[in-house]
Amino acid sequence: MALRELPFRTVAALGRDVRPAVRVLHPLCRRNASSEAAREVESASSLEVPPPSEELVRGYDPVARSRLRRRGKKELPPSRYQYRSPKYYRGPLHPHQPPPESDPSSRLFQPGPFDLPRLEQTYQSTIASDLLALTYQHYPPGYRAPKNEQRLREWTGASPYYKNRPLRGPRGKGEVLRLLQEPRTFRNIPRITRVVVHSMVPEAQENSANMHVAGMILQAITNVRVESHRARHNVVGWGLRQGRYVSVTSTMEREDAQHFLAKLIDVVLPRIKEWKGVPGSSGDGHGNIHFGLTPDQLALFPEIEVNYDAYPPKMIPGCHISIITDATSNKDARLLMQAIGLPFYGKLND
Amino acid sequence: MNAGKQTTRQLASRAGRSICRSCREYISRNTYATAAAAAVQAEDQVAQHIPPVAQAAPSTVYAVNAGVVLSRPPQITRDLHPFESAFFLYQRRLNERLALPFTRYFYFKKRTPADLEWKRKMKQRLTPARDIGRYKGYGDEAWNDEVLVGAKESDFEWQVERLLEDAGTDGKEVGEVEQKGMKKIEREVFDKPTPRRTEADEKNDTKSLNRALQRTLYLLVKNKDGLWQFPEDRLNEENLHGAASRILSQSGGPNMNTWLVGHIPIGQHQHNHTDTTKLPSGLTEHGVKTFFLKARIMAGQVNLKESKLGFQDFKWLAKDELKKEVDGSYWTSVKNMLAER
Repeated sequence: MALRELPFRTVAALGRDVRPAVRVLHPLCRRNASSEAAREVESASSLEVPPPSEELVRGYDPVARSRLRRRGKKELPPSRYQYRSPKYYRGPLHPHQPPPESDPSSRLFQPGPFDLPRLEQTYQSTIASDLLALTYQHYPPGYRAPKNEQRLREWTGASPYYKNRPLRGPRGKGEVLRLLQEPRTFRNIPRITRVVVHSMVPEAQENSANMHVAGMILQAITNVRVESHRARHNVVGWGLRQGRYVSVTSTMEREDAQHFLAKLIDVVLPRIKEWKGVPGSSGDGHGNIHFGLTPDQLALFPEIEVNYDAYPPKMIPGCHISIITDATSNKDARLLMQAIGLPFYGKLND
Repeated sequence: MNAGKQTTRQLASRAGRSICRSCREYISRNTYATAAAAAVQAEDQVAQHIPPVAQAAPSTVYAVNAGVVLSRPPQITRDLHPFESAFFLYQRRLNERLALPFTRYFYFKKRTPADLEWKRKMKQRLTPARDIGRYKGYGDEAWNDEVLVGAKESDFEWQVERLLEDAGTDGKEVGEVEQKGMKKIEREVFDKPTPRRTEADEKNDTKSLNRALQRTLYLLVKNKDGLWQFPEDRLNEENLHGAASRILSQSGGPNMNTWLVGHIPIGQHQHNHTDTTKLPSGLTEHGVKTFFLKARIMAGQVNLKESKLGFQDFKWLAKDELKKEVDGSYWTSVKNMLAER
């Protein structure tokens, strides 16, 4: 131990005079909240590199260059230089692994995003900070939130099967565990996570054309492939038969959702005659808002209006729109909806 | 504590200053086990929560002011960084070759004027998308899809121009004759979008609300002492948001439609007097604390003609312009409540 330590000690003894110089440099690496942030790793960007000379740019013709290069030579077949992702996944140990989904050569690649939606920019610049100012709850210094007791019920009894058994849910039929209401911080400002458009067409059981029309309309207005669903049970009152296709949905996220909402709020809803707003009773208590559009309201979407004649007028369906947000209560979700421009009417559901 | 760490600790204490700071911190740090044991003991003490009690007899006090941060949110989208616009163009062009082809006959009936127009336009730009330039995703030369140096395709203004051109023309070449018996398409008349830079931008008119449409503008006023600040006033027998709405109406005049965002302050600034003043109640006032409330202007304009608070002048400024106008200490306490954009 002493032997191993010896070189260190000598170096320390010799370097004792040098040390203060190093100390002076030290505060540069440390940063307080008030001091300037560390500079970027690379200060120069490739965008600042001066472009090539004008002559070079003017004389550059990629097609002509490639023709010149290939002149008189036999072309290689594409299989020799083009990469193709494997058609089937053969397991993690197979030598030929598919590229990641973000790679354009992957079979699962989906291009995007195509722009920065206006609604998203408004949310970032205006709505988010306003929501924080509106819903912030101040607690005095020294306040500690009361510990929330177990919300699930325990299994009480002498049965040995109760040991280590998962706790029971809330009492009562249809009761669910409500979401926890966390105190509002800048990290949990509610935002729209996705939008689901759902259209139920029971007539599709007799005539599948209804289903096709509904699917086309939903695809046109949402820019997303629709998913069709079968009836899960026989319901005589609604004329449903088990296993028949009865509805279509399309789920939008990110850019598609923002564009859809902007279109709905700025173009479609203002053109509806005597539209009162979204019913105030809407909301499932977990931060999601639902409302519906009738067939003639759905026809006001610009994508449908542009070739309205292409759809059989009697087959145009209505739809339900679910706006799914991060909010944990109806009140917060409604505040977010009002901020993006959806009015509510009637008795509010809190 | 294990024996190994004991000896290192002894060595460290003997070594004095010759051991580096981080090592010394590591050695003298408590282990998780000791920290957990201490936490268990501490839990009971904290469990009985004692609410903060007001001080018995404060001899020093601060005056309380209410301030209003009146702002106009951004009106238009921001300019994209050249990298962003290049990326978006790349993705759009990729989409052009990866998405299912455009279903032409679903949108245009055969041999109609609209169909002919579509064909003419497709011949010119080779792709259904109207704002990505001349681009072909298929065929022998599909590899030649990169934008050359100095090309305008990724420019936002250029893309808007193309969209307007597409809406306004029928794609006919000069001198091309129309087929007989074809109906003319009625074109909708549309207005050109107003420019993103306005007249107030050119003149740098800081009194105008029509300036810097991409940024948040904040109302700054020149107070009695000639200092540029947010409008603020002493609190008198009212709550903060009551004072805020009073300040707005008393200083800006009735010709302003404003909305007070919430009833809680979004920031505070403390100003200490150089010499303390003795109040008639026997307390010494050390300074002023200002609590800022957030407000948005919806319509109208500030009018300081009948201002009861003695403001001399006003400006609508974005965050970085505001930094140059206000005092240094004021800026440090105010900067974090202002939006970057």
